Amino acid sequence: MAVERFLQPHASSWMTNNAENVDIAMSTRIRLARNLTDFKFPYSFTEDEALKVDKEISSVLLDKGNELDYNFSHISIEELAQLQKEVLVEKHLISPFLVNSQRSGSVLLSENEELSIMVNEEDHLRIQSLQPGFQLQQAFKIANELDSLLEKNLSYAFHEKYGYLTSCPTNAGTGMRASVMLHLPALTMSHQIQRIIPAISRLGMVVRGIYGEGSEALGNVYQISNQLTLGKSEYEILQDLENMTEQIIQQERKAREAIALNSPMILEDRVYRSLGVLTHSRLLTTEEAATRLSDVRLGIDLKMIQDLDMSILNELMIFMQPAFLQQYADKPLQPRERDFARAKLFRERLNKKDRNSEGEDLA
Amino acid sequence: MICDQCGERSASVIVKQQQHGQIIERNLCHVCAAENHSINVAFEQDPLAIHQLLSNWFPNSQASTSPARKEVVTCPSCGFTFSKFLRLGKFGCDSCYDAFSPHLDEIFKRFHNGNIEHKGKIPASYGTTLKIKKEIEELRKQMQVCIQEEDFEKAARLRDEVKALSAKLEGGAADGS
Ligand SMILES: [Zn+2]
Ligand SMILES: [Zn+2]
Repeated sequence: MAVERFLQPHASSWMTNNAENVDIAMSTRIRLARNLTDFKFPYSFTEDEALKVDKEISSVLLDKGNELDYNFSHISIEELAQLQKEVLVEKHLISPFLVNSQRSGSVLLSENEELSIMVNEEDHLRIQSLQPGFQLQQAFKIANELDSLLEKNLSYAFHEKYGYLTSCPTNAGTGMRASVMLHLPALTMSHQIQRIIPAISRLGMVVRGIYGEGSEALGNVYQISNQLTLGKSEYEILQDLENMTEQIIQQERKAREAIALNSPMILEDRVYRSLGVLTHSRLLTTEEAATRLSDVRLGIDLKMIQDLDMSILNELMIFMQPAFLQQYADKPLQPRERDFARAKLFRERLNKKDRNSEGEDLA
Repeated sequence: MICDQCGERSASVIVKQQQHGQIIERNLCHVCAAENHSINVAFEQDPLAIHQLLSNWFPNSQASTSPARKEVVTCPSCGFTFSKFLRLGKFGCDSCYDAFSPHLDEIFKRFHNGNIEHKGKIPASYGTTLKIKKEIEELRKQMQVCIQEEDFEKAARLRDEVKALSAKLEGGAADGS
């Protein structure tokens, strides 16, 4: 089945680590929302229309996608097992909304997992382009090229005044949501983040935590994205977001320097204590794993830890989630069993040398 | 009621937030509501939050089911009424935008920091016609100014330009380009 390769615990290319500012900016995402004319939007269309939309969009992508060198795999959502859907959600390749949809939908994935096109999510078409590090222009270029290719073969719902027409009034206009995932431990530790967030919001941008629970960002990872889609061009939106992100990155660097200068011993203790927990504990909750990962990540950035590859940490952020763990264990796991499996995963990935002494099976 | 956040303006939006399993109600003015980051968090995660904002912004439209107000705007293509749009926070189809157009400026202004018009990419197929239409619009405005300033010679020149562009537009439509 086409989906198998995307379910493996191997890193997508957007999780790698060779991009600029990658120590603070972890990944970049561009999403374009589009709809076809002559079909009602997903909130009101029938199953029959849903199937037609899926067929029309998928056939163009499978046929024309090769013009841009994308070898798309088409995956129907309803053909997936529940756990497989959850794994794709944890990998950011599809949204929970698509999984829970009442109508037929699908996802088209490029071989390197940089492009994921959801059909019949909240809109007929959601083009999502993912890049490692801080690469708004590159991510937009890829999404935009595919969009331009598609519009030659599909008839988009477009309005002179309102631009690209979308199901939700918060997306109308460019239909574009651009976001950058930022690791901001020093701004969080020094409580400066509380001052920065309202300032960002006032400039038409939004900040949220990676797993989106409440206001606290898990593992000090924040996502900053544009809120406005009307009244500014894609270029202006990306410029604003780029400027804002650069400023935040600079502030984070300053805050890191200040902490390293003022309390080096406390910082060092914290980093190594967290490394100890990740490499030796037997039970790890998601929250603890995220917090400790954040510390170790900071330790690598500050060159305290030299022999650990950052891309392993990026992978672990994804693979430590419940569906991945169950896929890895090849059976359903109770929460306690997941904590055990998570701890085992961390030990295996982070202590490759003494892997043989860690031979027990997943609970 | 005064806004919980700024304590200055009067509150016009009630926002319900789930925090640690508890529902907390906050009363905000429209400025703070638009700026409030935790509401924006809710936008992407909980579509209900949008309908909640909308119904708080437009409480009167909710009452349109009462027999006193007969004219209910309905989208001819998908059958969504304006109140259904407010309730869901979503459009049913592309025609909804035209059907609800008289009310949309107000809504977009609040979601998009005062903006109501698209300034971005235009699909190639719409590109040429749209560009000509905008040009004509611009020339007409200039023509009005000339007439007011009694510069009839220039106004006539502009009128001819408009005519030429309009012809191009019709010709373009005829051969489908
Ligand atoms: Zn206020
Ligand atoms: Zn409609």
